[in-house]
Amino acid sequence: MNQENLEVFVDGLTNYFDKTTSSLAKVSTPFLIQDINQYLSDYTGIIGISGNHKGSVFFTAPRILIVKLISEIGVLTTQEDKLMDLVGEISNTISGNARRTFGDQFMLSTPIVLKGKTEQLHVSDVTNIYVIPVVWKNMTAHLIINLNQE
Amino acid sequence: MKFMVVDDSMVIREKIQNVLKDEEFEIVGTAQNGIEAVEQFKILKPRVMTLDITMPLMDGIETIKEIIALDTDVRILVVSALADKATLIQAMHLGAYGFLCKPFRDVELVEAIEELIEDIV
Repeated sequence: MNQENLEVFVDGLTNYFDKTTSSLAKVSTPFLIQDINQYLSDYTGIIGISGNHKGSVFFTAPRILIVKLISEIGVLTTQEDKLMDLVGEISNTISGNARRTFGDQFMLSTPIVLKGKTEQLHVSDVTNIYVIPVVWKNMTAHLIINLNQE
Repeated sequence: MKFMVVDDSMVIREKIQNVLKDEEFEIVGTAQNGIEAVEQFKILKPRVMTLDITMPLMDGIETIKEIIALDTDVRILVVSALADKATLIQAMHLGAYGFLCKPFRDVELVEAIEELIEDIV
């Protein structure tokens, strides 16, 4: 995953908050990490990628951010299943938008959503794992990109 | 005008219903995958629908094929995060009338639907 390809996800994350909220989100520069688990938050949406890239895209965020975000989207709820649904939808939306650059052979799975920080995820066969932080209303979420080009 | 919302995300289904509640539509049904959508379509016969592409059990592309085979006059607005040209062209070729990329602003949804139905109201 090179810098140009990472920009696709920075743009996707920026666009998501721009289109769905009324407050500006600050997306920071991506950086490399070794262990994905230290960044997992209350909810994590995961999209498996196959085709011309292989790996996964994670969106992970604290509950309080998701509660405020779902309200801005126009759905007034704190129901657990809807909060988890939104996290899956965000990971799916940002991954799907990346097909504008990577094409229709950038194949997406349906989302898997994890709750809590106790899951120990192991990512294999990947050289680089990048994290893109986003700060919205003083709360931080992370997009984690774990992709190899085929 | 009878309207149906098809998306595997319950939040998106609810958002679309909320945005359209002040418009001249009767939301007759919602579905979370293509199989449910086709079954409900046969019973409810909506005139207009929004349809996601990435869904479990039956995706949106297959759903367009099945629904157009039942009713060539239905107006389908594809609402999907899949932003590549090939998916857009395939959906339109199969009979979808419009395409709105997720994420979307409320006003963008309303405008896309107004465009979808402007010659039938």
